[in-house]
Amino acid sequence: MELSFGVILGAWIATGLTLFILSFLYEDNPLFKLAEHLYVGVSLGYTIVKTYDTVIMTLIVRPILEKGEWSLLIPVGIGMLMLTRYVPKAAWLSRYAFAFIVGVGAGLAIPRTISSFILKQIEDTVRPLLGIAPGGGVTFDYSLLNPASHLNGIIILIGVVSVLFYFFFSVEHSGPGKAVARAGILFLMISFGAAFGYTVMARMSLLIGRLTDLIEFSDASYGRPTLWLVLLTVATLIVLSRRASTHPPNQ
Amino acid sequence: MTFAERMLRIDRRIIFLVIGLCTLVPLLFPVGLPIKISSEVRGVYDYIEGLPEGSVFLLSLDFDPASKPELYPQAIAILRHAFKKNLRVVAMTLWVSGTGLADQILTQTAKEAGKENGKDYVFLGWSPGGSAVILNMGQDLYNAFPADYGGKATKGLPVLAGVQNLRDVTYAVSLGAGNPGVEAWYVFGKDKYKFELGDGCTGVIAPGLYPLLRSGQINGLIGGLRGAAEYETLIGQKGKAVAGMDAQSATHLAIIVLVAICNIFYFSLRRQQRRQDGMGS
Repeated sequence: MELSFGVILGAWIATGLTLFILSFLYEDNPLFKLAEHLYVGVSLGYTIVKTYDTVIMTLIVRPILEKGEWSLLIPVGIGMLMLTRYVPKAAWLSRYAFAFIVGVGAGLAIPRTISSFILKQIEDTVRPLLGIAPGGGVTFDYSLLNPASHLNGIIILIGVVSVLFYFFFSVEHSGPGKAVARAGILFLMISFGAAFGYTVMARMSLLIGRLTDLIEFSDASYGRPTLWLVLLTVATLIVLSRRASTHPPNQ
Repeated sequence: MTFAERMLRIDRRIIFLVIGLCTLVPLLFPVGLPIKISSEVRGVYDYIEGLPEGSVFLLSLDFDPASKPELYPQAIAILRHAFKKNLRVVAMTLWVSGTGLADQILTQTAKEAGKENGKDYVFLGWSPGGSAVILNMGQDLYNAFPADYGGKATKGLPVLAGVQNLRDVTYAVSLGAGNPGVEAWYVFGKDKYKFELGDGCTGVIAPGLYPLLRSGQINGLIGGLRGAAEYETLIGQKGKAVAGMDAQSATHLAIIVLVAICNIFYFSLRRQQRRQDGMGS
């Protein structure tokens, strides 16, 4: 399949920038700095353009000019008050805009967050530790693989209580309290370990993603940018390294 | 300097090289290790599988190119599944920097499935406000998105027939790399407007979302590249995520070995120093 010039150019740029960024693993160098600055500049430029097009043009200018929705000037006015921060004498006006944002934001977020993350989570933590069989007897599910089992319910109860106790500083952690606080630390360590394991997995996934693209772009249909740009990057690093050893920077 | 001391002071670039090789070699020569499907990924798959044709499926692609390696394969796999089930796909993003990528993903999968823009799917694009956009959509979707990404008016689009707000959405999935993402969709969306919600996310934020899964606040969780590989296996269309699983396993093994070796050297060095201190005193 014949690839368009745009696709081939995109492959060369993506390959070059990936290799320039990865070159930092060897040492800091101008190629890495070039790619880093380009990344910051391009992403900021993209965000500004998209925001201007969506907010200013699509949501404000067009509805006002084409549909006569003049009521939109009220939020525009409140938004413009933010800019008075740059005029020292009128800077106090920006407080109205901030007050509006903080008030609306807090009003929207606080009740919903309490309901979703505190009440619902407490509801899920406080579960029956034993089950009742249809005949009237008591049952106990020992399965560790079933998140809703009674055994896991007890483990969660111990974990929640011991971690809360660990962060309770009004009582000295000695005697039986020390054992509970230690159990809390153990649960925290397991939680940090799981989070770190997932973080390692995520970072490795990013590396896999970039290497997958580099392998794809080593194909002849793209003009083998991976091959040529690896050579260019390595050669540049060698030249820079030699120059640094012959002309050490002034102390 | 002893062997253990030399190993503990090894040039970190050698470690980078080892990790790089452990990633590259399995990508070039895949082994095809088996992929076990977890119940959390199956939760999302089963729910979509059980939806009747024409149901409204909302996919929020809340990520930017920085999270592409993990969330791009998830998005592709979910969209392929939704198009195969002939669902009406309504896609959007809460991340302004992700609009171009989201559009590319949707256009590519729709083209593959032979779906028509406006009739079978729509990409609403991005709207300012973060979490407030979800509340706005809950009241009136057309107020939050008067036009789609291409500038066409959303009111009257066949794909949105009968849809007025979030209460008319049958199932929503947020593929999130941070905030705003799945938590915002739960707090301001599902909890208020009562639609079913699933989640896909990067590996970094997955552990924080397990409490929501266990309490039933979300009905499924696709975590990182591993989750994407499981979803690709479930729909029977193996892609980039499955291809990366061998490399993922190899790098994990390498890291475990490195951690174990470092600990052995560290403790042997400590024992050696204690012995020397004992002899000195």
